[in-house]
Amino acid sequence: MASSFTRSLTRTGLGLVLALALAGPFAHAQEAAKPAEQKSAADLSPQCEVPNGDIASPAPLPTMANLLESGKKLKILAIGSSSTYGIGATVRGKAYPAQLEEILEKTLSGVDVKIINRGVSGEIASATAERLKSEVALTHPNLVLWQLGTNDALSHISPEDFENTVQTAVKRMKKRNIDVVLVGLQYTPKLARDESYIAIRDALRRVAATENVLYVRRYDAMQFLAKSRANLQMLAGDDFHLNDLGYQCMAEHVAHAVIANLFIRRRDPAAQTLPKSN
Amino acid sequence: MSYLIEKPKISSYLRGVLRDGSSRPLLGWIRARGTSAPDDYRSRGSRKPNEIDFWRGFALITIFIDHIPGIYFDNFTYRHIGVSDAAELFVFLAGWSLRLVVNSQYKVITFSRLLLHLGGRAWVIYMAQLLITTLALAITAAGAILLDAPPLLEWNNAAAAFQDPVQSHIGIVLLTYHLGYFDILPLYVVLMSFAPLIAIVDHYARWLLLPLSLAVYLATILLEFNLPTWPIEGRWFFNPLAWQLMFVLGFVLGGPNRAGTWIKQHRWTARLVVLPVLALGAWAGLTEWSYEIGEQTGWLLFTIDKTFLTPARVIHLLSVSIMFGGAFTILHGFVRPLTRLFSMLGRNSLNVFCVGSILSLTGQFVRFAFSGSLWIDFIVVTLGIVVLSLTAWVSEWRHRLRAP
Repeated sequence: MASSFTRSLTRTGLGLVLALALAGPFAHAQEAAKPAEQKSAADLSPQCEVPNGDIASPAPLPTMANLLESGKKLKILAIGSSSTYGIGATVRGKAYPAQLEEILEKTLSGVDVKIINRGVSGEIASATAERLKSEVALTHPNLVLWQLGTNDALSHISPEDFENTVQTAVKRMKKRNIDVVLVGLQYTPKLARDESYIAIRDALRRVAATENVLYVRRYDAMQFLAKSRANLQMLAGDDFHLNDLGYQCMAEHVAHAVIANLFIRRRDPAAQTLPKSN
Repeated sequence: MSYLIEKPKISSYLRGVLRDGSSRPLLGWIRARGTSAPDDYRSRGSRKPNEIDFWRGFALITIFIDHIPGIYFDNFTYRHIGVSDAAELFVFLAGWSLRLVVNSQYKVITFSRLLLHLGGRAWVIYMAQLLITTLALAITAAGAILLDAPPLLEWNNAAAAFQDPVQSHIGIVLLTYHLGYFDILPLYVVLMSFAPLIAIVDHYARWLLLPLSLAVYLATILLEFNLPTWPIEGRWFFNPLAWQLMFVLGFVLGGPNRAGTWIKQHRWTARLVVLPVLALGAWAGLTEWSYEIGEQTGWLLFTIDKTFLTPARVIHLLSVSIMFGGAFTILHGFVRPLTRLFSMLGRNSLNVFCVGSILSLTGQFVRFAFSGSLWIDFIVVTLGIVVLSLTAWVSEWRHRLRAP
C-alpha cells in the first residue's frame, strides 16, 4: 500500500509542497494567508487537477480545526455507498478512504489520522442515516465523510425525502460536534441529463448550504476531468465506477477541500459567510 | 416464521378450544393445551384466524413495502408515526409464537425432542436465508443484464458478491455477509439457535429468563458490542445480542404472566396509560425532537437506534401492542376478509417472508426500470400482496395434500 500513488506524490513533489504549505502554517496562520493559499489549490497531482470551484463549496470544519491545534488523533468515519467501499478499485487499499488517510497523514504531519470505512454498496441515504446513528455512537469520529446521492437518484427517491433525511442526520452530527463533509454524486455522461439525478444533486447542495457544511462537488470535478482529460481512464470497466486513478483523484479532492477549509476558517472568518455558490 | 412446522398438532388444539366456545382464541389456546380434537382433511394445517397470525401478516406486508425504498406507499407504514417499526413487531411475535409452540409441543413430545425440534427450525431458517440470498443475487444480476444497468449490481450491498466472490461466498455461508434488507433472517437464525436454551431456562428456572435476557441486552448496549460483518467491514444491522430481548419479551408475555393477565382484564386502563407514550413516540417520529435529547447525552442507551434496539424502541413496541392488543376481535367482526387474509399470511410466515423479500427486490428493479411513478408503485404493491397471498394459499394447500 505504499502505493504507486505515494511514489507519484514524491515524484511530483506534491507531498513536500503540501507539507510545507499546509502543515507548517498551523503554528503560523498568518504566513499561510498569502501565497501558499493560492498555491494549495493547484497542489493536486497533474492528472487530478481541476479548478478550485469545481472541488468544493467552502464551509468551516470547527471540530477538526480545534483538534489539530492540540495535535491529537483524528478519527474520520467514511460512510456511504460503493464509492466509499471502493467498487472498481483493484485492491481495497485503493478505495478513496484509504488513499485519503495517506494524504492527510502526510499533509498534517505529526497527526495520527485514522479513517474507518463503512461503505455499503448501493445503499440509499436513508439506510445510511440509520446506520450512522450507531456507527457514530460506536466509533466517536471527529469528522464524518458522507458520500451519497447516486443511489437515491437511481432508486427514484423523492428529492424532498432525501433532503429531509440528510438534513436531519447532518443536524444530529453537528449537535454532537462532529464535522460533516458531504461528498456528492459521481459524474457519468449517461445520467447527466437524468431528472432525478439533477434533483438529488440540487437537494444535496441545498442541505450543504443550509447546514453550512462542506460539500465536495464530486460531480463537477469528475465532469471537468472527463471533459478536459478524455485520454485518461478514470472509470472502471463498467464505465460507472471509478478505477484506482479515479479514487486517487477523489481522495485528493476531498483532502484538498478539507485542508483548504481548515485554513479558511482560521484565517478569514469572513469566508464562512461567503455566498455558497453551488 | 416456521415455528409452525407441526401445524396439525397445534391446529388441533386450537380447534379443540374453539369448540369449547372460547371467545378469546389465543387465551383459550394456551389454556387448552393438552386437549385434542380429531383432524379433518379440509381444515388440517390451517388454524382459524387469530390475533398473533393476524399481526404477523400485518408485519409481513409492512416489511414488504418498507423494503422498497422510495415507494409511495411507504409513507403509510406506521414507522413514520412512531419510533419502532414492523421489525420489532415481527420479532416480538416470533417470540410469542415460540411460546405457543413450546407450550403446545411440550405436552406431546419429550423435552429433549422439543429442543431438537427447535434447533431444527434454526436450521430451516438458515437454509431459507441461503436460498433467498442466492435468488436475490441472481435477480440482481439478471436485472443488471436485462436493464443494461451495471450500477444495479451494487444495490443492496451486492457488489462484493460480484466483485469479491472469493470472500463473499464464505461470508454468505457464515452469515457474515448480508445483502441490504436481507439481514433479518440472519438475526432470526441466531435467535432460533438460542430457542433451545430459552426453552431450557424457561423449563428449569422461569423467573431467570427475563432478567438474564435484560442483563445481556444492557451489557450489549453499555459495552457497545456487536457482531462484525465480513468481507464488508461493518457490523450486523440487527444486533442479535440486543434484539434477543424483543424475542424473549414475546416469549415471556406470550405465556401466562401477571402483567399480561392484568392488561387483558383492564384493557382500557392499560391503553390510557400507554397513550402518552404513543403520542410522544408519534411526535418523536414526526419531529426528530427525540434524537436531539438522546444525542446530547452521548449515550447509546438514550438514542433511538435500530441496530441496538435501544430502550425507546422496546418501550414503544410494548406500548403499541398494549394499545392494539385485543383490536383483532373487533376487526374480525367488521372486516373479516382482511383478518382472514392477514392471518393466512401470518400462518405461513417463513414462506411469505422469503417470497416478500424477493418481491421487494424485484419491486426495486421495476421502479428503476419505470422511473418510479405513482402508478408503478400502486401496481408493485398490489401485485406484491396478491403474490404473497398466493404464496400463503399454496403453502397451505400443499400442506393439506401432504396430510394423510
